[in-house]
Amino acid sequence: MPRNEYQTKLEDLRGDVLYMSEVVAERLRMGLDALAQKDAQLAEEVITGDGEINEMYLELEKDCINLIALQQPVAGDLRFIAASFKIITDLERIADLATNLGQYAKNAQRDVFPDVDIQRLGDVTLEMLDRAMTAYSGDRPQMCYEVAEKDDELDELCEIASEIVVRDLIEGERSNNDEDIPILMKDVSRLLLTIRDLERVGDHAVNIAARTLYMIENNDELIY
Amino acid sequence: MTSADDSGTADPVGSTESVVDTSSGLSDRATTRSDTIVEAKGVDVFYGEDQALQDISMEIPEKQVTAMIGPSGCGKSTFLRCINRMNDQIDVCRVDGEIEFRGKNIYDDDVDPVVLRRRIGMVFQQPNPFPKSIYDNVAYGLKIQGKTEDMDQKVENALKGAALWDEVKDKLHTSGLDLSGGQQQRLCIARAIAVDPQVILMDEPASALDPIATAQIEDLIEELSRDFTVVIVTHNMQQAARISDKTAVFLTGGELVEFDDTNRIFENPQSQRVEDYITGKFG
Repeated sequence: MPRNEYQTKLEDLRGDVLYMSEVVAERLRMGLDALAQKDAQLAEEVITGDGEINEMYLELEKDCINLIALQQPVAGDLRFIAASFKIITDLERIADLATNLGQYAKNAQRDVFPDVDIQRLGDVTLEMLDRAMTAYSGDRPQMCYEVAEKDDELDELCEIASEIVVRDLIEGERSNNDEDIPILMKDVSRLLLTIRDLERVGDHAVNIAARTLYMIENNDELIY
Repeated sequence: MTSADDSGTADPVGSTESVVDTSSGLSDRATTRSDTIVEAKGVDVFYGEDQALQDISMEIPEKQVTAMIGPSGCGKSTFLRCINRMNDQIDVCRVDGEIEFRGKNIYDDDVDPVVLRRRIGMVFQQPNPFPKSIYDNVAYGLKIQGKTEDMDQKVENALKGAALWDEVKDKLHTSGLDLSGGQQQRLCIARAIAVDPQVILMDEPASALDPIATAQIEDLIEELSRDFTVVIVTHNMQQAARISDKTAVFLTGGELVEFDDTNRIFENPQSQRVEDYITGKFG
């Protein structure tokens, strides 16, 4: 096959993007664990590790630009590089959101709303990310649609979780001690931000699936 | 079937002019960009026993740039030359099928190839100005046609149309051969457009030029497509992607494998063979 070196570079890019996704998924898992276990040290690891992800992102961005500039890709190759270029941005954003989880974990001292199952939300986002990257890895268009469908489920779970918090604030029996209110407000704010960030992780997973579907089939149905 | 020997006609101008020349004035031209100006219908071309093109059918839209790409020997230049019957000059060449220019089969007996080539001009790979002055190069075709009125203005217009006027206006009577390669090619384009063609065929017009001259030719092709239909053969796929509206991909065996909007060809070709060719997976 002609252009062997070019083909090798394309395969290298695919491998590197998949590796980045594995590291990002690991950071997300660590952020969730830090939240569950109130583990400040683990939380700190997620936060400090973000620099590594950023470097990875910049390196891959450079690889994509070089491939476009030097190899003039077209057709399936062009779609693959264009999709990868977008996907690494989503991965980097997911890593930023994992860092947020680390920050929340550092500040969280207690579970104010035990009925809100953050870990379940996290598991759904990790599953979505895994499916999106499996689709990217193995050219599996059907999985892209599954990720989009799963996002509807995640959105619903996030909405329910937010409702639990709001309903509890309105209807729950809380201390009327003025000194407790600022702490409670911080806890509520942190929890709602956590829910929002996990919902955003799901959105990025859908973006990855959408770009992957474009890459495989030139189908922009999921891009919005 | 039409052979190269059929080109002579008893009425070399008459009916040909009346059909081929019905819209010779620019104002008579259809203005809708998507109108078909040239249509090939089941064109086969043979050089002796060897078949160079197989059953080519395509519609070339007016006032757009249509690029033809493909590996060496795929027949793209052969097809280009069929469009203004340049292949008539090759004794062993035989063309079957029809190529219509504004609905008239150019291989009909009553079509005069000389008149046809006024309507469908050609620019070649190597710039080939006549060993005459810049002025005379451009005026040559007009003089042959007896269109000598306002000659200075016509020469100026053609040179302006070829984006060469500013560079040569002070030396119109020096030899065309003294120009640089890129300028010579633009002079040939000026010569081609001076006789007011409707289609300009270009066979690798920039392959002998440096990158700057190539860029000038590419810019010029885009300019020309406002007033003319341009059909270009190029080995440079990126050039085809840059300048053309439509791309035809010919592959080995003289087959037209895909013909579509250029952005579709280069983003999502329908044929795996085309995908493999344009991505370099086979040479």
